[in-house]
Amino acid sequence: MVRFVSGLTVTERQVALVVLLALSLIGLAMAAAGRGDPMGAQGFIVMIFSVGLGFAVMSGYYAPEPDESRLSRYYDDPTKVGIVLTMIWAVIGMAVGVWVAALLAWPDLTFDAAWASFGRLRPVHTSGVIFGFGGNALIATSFHVLQRTSRARLPDQFTPWFVLIGYNLFCIVAASGYLMGVTQSKEYAEPEWYADIWLVIVWVAYFLLYLRTLARRKEPHIYVANWYYMAFILVVAVLHIVNNLAVPVSFAHAKSYSLFSGVQDAMTEWWYGHNAVAFFLTSGFLGMMYYYLPKRAGRPIFSYRLSIISFWGITFLYMWAGSHHLHYTALPQWVQTLGMTFSIMLLVPSWASAGNALATLNGAWHKVRDDATLRFMMVAAVFYGLSTFEGSFMAIRPVNSLSHYTDWTVGHVHAGALGWVAMITFGSIYALVPWMWKRQAMYSSRLVEVHFWLALAGTIVYVFAMWNSGIIQGLMWRTYNDGGTLAYSFIDSMVAMHPYYIARAFGGLLFLSGAVVGTYNVWMTIRAAHAEAAAGETGADVPIAAGSGAMQAGE
Amino acid sequence: MEIAHDAVVAFSKSWGLFYLVGFSLCVVAYAYWPGNRKAFTHAKMSVLDDDDRPLGDRPLGDRPLGPEA
Amino acid sequence: MPEFFHRKIERNAIGFVVAIVAVASIGGLVEIAPLFTIHQTVEEAPDMRVYTPLELAGRNIYIREGCYACHSQMIRTLRDEVERYGPYSLAVESKYDHPMLWGSKRTGPDLARIGDKYSDAWHVRHLINPRDVVPESVMPKYGWLARNELRIEDLGAHLVAQQDVGVPYTQEMVDNATRDAYGQATPDTDAASGVSERYGAATQVRAFDGDPARVTEMDALVAYLQILGRLTEAPYKQSAAAEAGE
Repeated sequence: MVRFVSGLTVTERQVALVVLLALSLIGLAMAAAGRGDPMGAQGFIVMIFSVGLGFAVMSGYYAPEPDESRLSRYYDDPTKVGIVLTMIWAVIGMAVGVWVAALLAWPDLTFDAAWASFGRLRPVHTSGVIFGFGGNALIATSFHVLQRTSRARLPDQFTPWFVLIGYNLFCIVAASGYLMGVTQSKEYAEPEWYADIWLVIVWVAYFLLYLRTLARRKEPHIYVANWYYMAFILVVAVLHIVNNLAVPVSFAHAKSYSLFSGVQDAMTEWWYGHNAVAFFLTSGFLGMMYYYLPKRAGRPIFSYRLSIISFWGITFLYMWAGSHHLHYTALPQWVQTLGMTFSIMLLVPSWASAGNALATLNGAWHKVRDDATLRFMMVAAVFYGLSTFEGSFMAIRPVNSLSHYTDWTVGHVHAGALGWVAMITFGSIYALVPWMWKRQAMYSSRLVEVHFWLALAGTIVYVFAMWNSGIIQGLMWRTYNDGGTLAYSFIDSMVAMHPYYIARAFGGLLFLSGAVVGTYNVWMTIRAAHAEAAAGETGADVPIAAGSGAMQAGE
Repeated sequence: MEIAHDAVVAFSKSWGLFYLVGFSLCVVAYAYWPGNRKAFTHAKMSVLDDDDRPLGDRPLGDRPLGPEA
Repeated sequence: MPEFFHRKIERNAIGFVVAIVAVASIGGLVEIAPLFTIHQTVEEAPDMRVYTPLELAGRNIYIREGCYACHSQMIRTLRDEVERYGPYSLAVESKYDHPMLWGSKRTGPDLARIGDKYSDAWHVRHLINPRDVVPESVMPKYGWLARNELRIEDLGAHLVAQQDVGVPYTQEMVDNATRDAYGQATPDTDAASGVSERYGAATQVRAFDGDPARVTEMDALVAYLQILGRLTEAPYKQSAAAEAGE
């Protein structure tokens, strides 16, 4: 803790304490006003969080100030902490995922506790992996990429911490709220109004931090990875604000009522939901890919122009595609057709990105063979291509009539989330960790290899199980017997799902084990770095010398 | 404020399409504009640079160049 | 000219930001703007009523427990869905739903027309242990609903918030929210009569959980489930008219 606090100037330490004091007072107010409501418990969580952090800042308050020489180095402390948080959230989010998967096979695992029922745990899983794991990975890597590609240090030491820690406070409030039954029941936008407002504040700070650093950049051209990160930050802000407009019952109630209703709410929700996929789970991670993949492969991106064209294509086309979630519903048909058309057009920029990534590796296949880190990124690009194709296909109305409401959708989402998002993240983290902690390589390259195969096997088992169950389900629902009546009851279709639900839980377990192995590997790499620093106590924070190029190109 | 639904829909359907086409043309023009080639090539190569420090106040022309130099 | 323009965008981060917002939001606007005039296309349903305070509380429990994760409330215009679940859903049916609960996944069946299909006693047994009535079910047990007293004293504030987002609750409904919630689940008390006065004679007033002495979360949730698809007769009339026309 002292290590991190000592990177802040004294003024920044004071600002941090003031912010934490204000936060703990807000927490206290929530706890006091919200007695008898989940708001009260949420207030206690905010209070404990900020008071705890306040002690952490105090413990390093009297450490010597960093000297001016810091300005000639990049500021990576928040990235380091962000990487660790990413791995922690990965394990939490995926473990809950395996748990909810198991609940569908063995429903009595809830032991009559409200918080342990499927409906309350499921958002802990989705938010845990999307926002906890994905969001922390995006924030941590964006700080790194932003500084390197701008060749400028972050403008101050306080804001990046505010963004990272504030964001994690949002995640904690959200996840603990779900367990207490605090949710808006808007998919992927479950957190209630006060958490939403807090996220807006954090997000504005994040956005300004990005702009301030870009303003200090020494490169005239903004590297394309930053475009993707910026689109992620900006559009997620717009989506988040519009979709979460709501009127709280009172300031002492956690509960609110959304401003929109019925068909309007459905359209807004899926405009949000689909663009969360676009700008959270695609745009930001493409930013990651456009930096770490060329860097790790030691080769420039195949076509920079193509990356620009796909950027604007994705930014433009995704916005229209949300209504494919509402085929054959009470939504006007022209909006459905529009959504379908644009979803199909989306295939062009999506495949341009995936192809660009794979073409970059062309000529470096020996590295892909030998280096599991690069292989993570390669497989991610392949799954990105596969799941965007599948997505466009499923947006076609007649296909959607079969796939919608079934496990096929769940399989599709996980092909993207496990195969693309998680794989590109793990690949990037394995590239980034040795750079950040100034090591030649990860603690164990064997374990990276183990993680890779666990992740790949888990993804394949999961996706195939869900494809099977989804298509069987969809077909059973619409099968007629010779008499012209429906052949199967709903329960028949559910019974048929049982073996696939077990297979899915197993696939998830494999993927989770991979994440646990990865977390251990990251942890041991950090420990080794600290042990060496303690032994040598050289004191000087030596930047990676030019000779380190060999290390980055793959061990 | 009562705007006819059909009018809004008609506007979306027609002008939305023009906007899409016009916009695509602009993007392609930008990506292939000959004058941009140098900047793009530089950007493409710059990430491979191994110099892991901010540029500070060193003048632009003085910075270590990537493999394209 | 384009040359100058692009250089400018590329060198100026703010310009770039504006470009992203413009590009992204115009798409959204073109698609979403018509939805703000969509009430002109939503069917008329003069008989459509608002949720009673008890049903609203039940709906909030449905939201709290995350039922939307496994149950949809949107019957699509497909033959097999209409035959399995009933007339397809109309936009008007969810016009008072803040938020809508159309759902996206059917791990369990659609619930848009579940109202009146099963008895209260069946729902109560099913919620306490689904496998008592459907042995193959994978639904969680919701035993605590029958144990928890329903929080009704703040329902007036809920109705005010509903008014703020556009649901036509009257002042009288707001003032009597707590009393009506109590009355709807306790048919033999004085409070019971006001419910049908304010929400219509067809409103179901009974001890939904089988125990008239207490108002539990089970009362509220079952009251909500029993009204699903029953707020208006419009979808049933529409499908009857379609059949007559064939």
